[in-house]
Amino acid sequence: MSADVYDLVVVGAGPAGLAAAIEAHAQGLRTLVIDEQRAAGGQIFRQPPKEFGEPVRSPVGYPWAADLLTDAADASGIDWWFESTVFGVLDARSTGRDDFDVLVTRPQGARRAHARRLLIATGAYDMPVAIPGWTMPGVLMAGAAQGLLKAQHVRATGPIVLTGSHPLMLIVAAQLVRAGAEVTEVAFARGMPSLRELLAAAPAIPGHVRLLVELAGCVLTLAGHGVRLSTSTVPTAITGTDGVSGVRLAKADRAWRVRGAEREVPARTVVLGYGFHASTELARQVGCSVHWDSAAGGWLVAVDERFETDVPGIFVAGEPTGVSGAEQSRAEGAAAGAAIAADLGRPVDGRRAGAVRRDLRRSRRFAAVVQRMFAPERPGLVSLATADTTICRCEAIPRSDVDGFLRANPHADTVDAVKLACRTGMGPCQGRYCESTVGGAVAAARGGTVPGAARFAAHVPIKPVPLQAYAELFDADGAETP
Amino acid sequence: MKTEPLADRVVPRRRDVSFLVDGRPVRAAAGETVAAAMLAEGERCFARRRGEDRALLCNMGTCFECAVTVDDVPLTRTCMTTVRDGMDVRTGE
Repeated sequence: MSADVYDLVVVGAGPAGLAAAIEAHAQGLRTLVIDEQRAAGGQIFRQPPKEFGEPVRSPVGYPWAADLLTDAADASGIDWWFESTVFGVLDARSTGRDDFDVLVTRPQGARRAHARRLLIATGAYDMPVAIPGWTMPGVLMAGAAQGLLKAQHVRATGPIVLTGSHPLMLIVAAQLVRAGAEVTEVAFARGMPSLRELLAAAPAIPGHVRLLVELAGCVLTLAGHGVRLSTSTVPTAITGTDGVSGVRLAKADRAWRVRGAEREVPARTVVLGYGFHASTELARQVGCSVHWDSAAGGWLVAVDERFETDVPGIFVAGEPTGVSGAEQSRAEGAAAGAAIAADLGRPVDGRRAGAVRRDLRRSRRFAAVVQRMFAPERPGLVSLATADTTICRCEAIPRSDVDGFLRANPHADTVDAVKLACRTGMGPCQGRYCESTVGGAVAAARGGTVPGAARFAAHVPIKPVPLQAYAELFDADGAETP
Repeated sequence: MKTEPLADRVVPRRRDVSFLVDGRPVRAAAGETVAAAMLAEGERCFARRRGEDRALLCNMGTCFECAVTVDDVPLTRTCMTTVRDGMDVRTGE
C-alpha cells in the first residue's frame, strides 16, 4: 500500500497547528494534522473527554478558542491522526523525491506520511527546575495540575503549595481553590512588579484586557480563601520520606538566590510553575537551526518572516519560535498556513494577509512584556539543586555526579560531554527534563552561560517507540518500506 | 507506606470501566486517562527509577515519569492513554 501523501503535514493540534491547518485547507491544500492527544486543542485548550458529555468551553482569556476548535472540526477535508506520536522526520529529497517522510506511531501501529511541506507546531512544556525532593510522588508541574483539573476534573490533594514565577500559577491556584482544593500558599520567586514595570507593560494591554481582569479575579479569589501570596520566595526542598509532607521556603534576592532563613510549610502536593520551554526536539532532529533565548523559552527555532526554517520546506509556528502564549501562536499559525499555501503556488489574498499581520503585531507586544517581566533567573534556580538533588530524573543522576565529572575533566564544557560520561539525558524523556539544568551546572562550573554549554543532539526517534514500529516502517536491511 | 490518594475527583463519577494495576482491580470512569484514574484510586507508583517510585509529573507526555507497561507495550504514558475495560497495567518499569 502506498503511503499517505499530503501537501502539508502539521505536527501539533494546538492553537498554532489548528490555525495553520484551517488556513491551508481553505486554500485547497491536502492537509494532515497529527497530535498525541485524543482531540484537538493542545495543552492550552485541552477539553474534557467526550464521555463526560460537556460542551466545548473556551479557557480563561481566550474567548475565540471554542470557535477555533469548531472551525477545525468543520473543515471536513482535513485529516486527523490523534493519539499519534511523530518520532522523526526524514528528508526524502536526498533520495530524489521532493517531500519529507514523517514517521508516526499510532494506536493501530506505525505509519509513514509524506509531506510536501511540514509545519512543526509542537508547543511548549513546563520548565523543569531541579530542587531537592522533586522526584517524589506528589510533586506536579503547573501544567499538570491544571490539565488534570480542567480536562479530567481531578484535583491534587491538599494542602497544596505552588511555587514558581509564572503568572499561570495564579490562575492554576484559583482554579484549584474554586474546585474545592486546599491551597495554602503561592510563592513567587520575584518581587512585586514596580510601578515603572507596570507602566512599561501598559502598551501591551489592548486586546488582552480580559486576561488581566481574570488575573486580578484570581488574586481576589485566593485572598478571599486565605491563601498566602508570598514574593521573593523560592523552595529550598520538598520534604517527606515516602511522599510529600511539606516544602521549605526561603526569601530570595533579585537573582533568586536564597538570602533568608527557611520555613517549612506542610503540603501534600507541591506545584512547580517557572514558565515554559519550547518543544523543539523535532525541529532539531530534522536539522533546523536553533538559538537561545532564556526569557522566551530556552532553545528556539529560527524562522524567517514566513515562518520557514533554514531547512527549506519546514515551517515552525507557535511556542517553538518563542513561548508567547495562545494568542500569538494562533496568529503565527495562520500566517504560516498562508505562507505555505503561497509557497505551493496558491494565490495570496492581500486583505487576509494584512489582517494576519496585524494580529501578529498586536500579540507580539503583549508576549514581549510578559517574557520580560517573568524571565527566569536561571543561575539562581540551578543553585537550588544541591549535591544530592536528582538532576536527570530518568536515570536518577544526582548533581554530585555531574559536578564531580566536571571537576575531574576541566576541558569538558558541553551538555553532550556530561551526557556521555554521566548518562544524564539518556532515559526515556531524552533530556527534555534535564538539559537546561545540566547546562546550568556546566555554566556554573565553567563561569559560562547555559547556551555556552550547547544542547543535546536530537536523533530519530525523538520519543521512545517500540522496536515494532521500526520493523513496520523499515525492511530488515534498513531500506524504507513504502 | 502511604496510601493516601495523590488526587481525587471533583465530582463523583460512575466508575463503570475496570482494569488491572499490577493484578489489582481498579475502577475508572469512561473517558478518564489511566493517570487520572490511577491517582484518584490511590495508586502512588507509576514508573520506578533505581528503586524510587515516581508518579505523574507533567501530564502532557513529555517526562515519561507516568509511563507503565499496558497490555505488554512498555513505556506507555498513562497521561496520554484513555482507560479501557480489561487493560493490564504494570507499574515500576
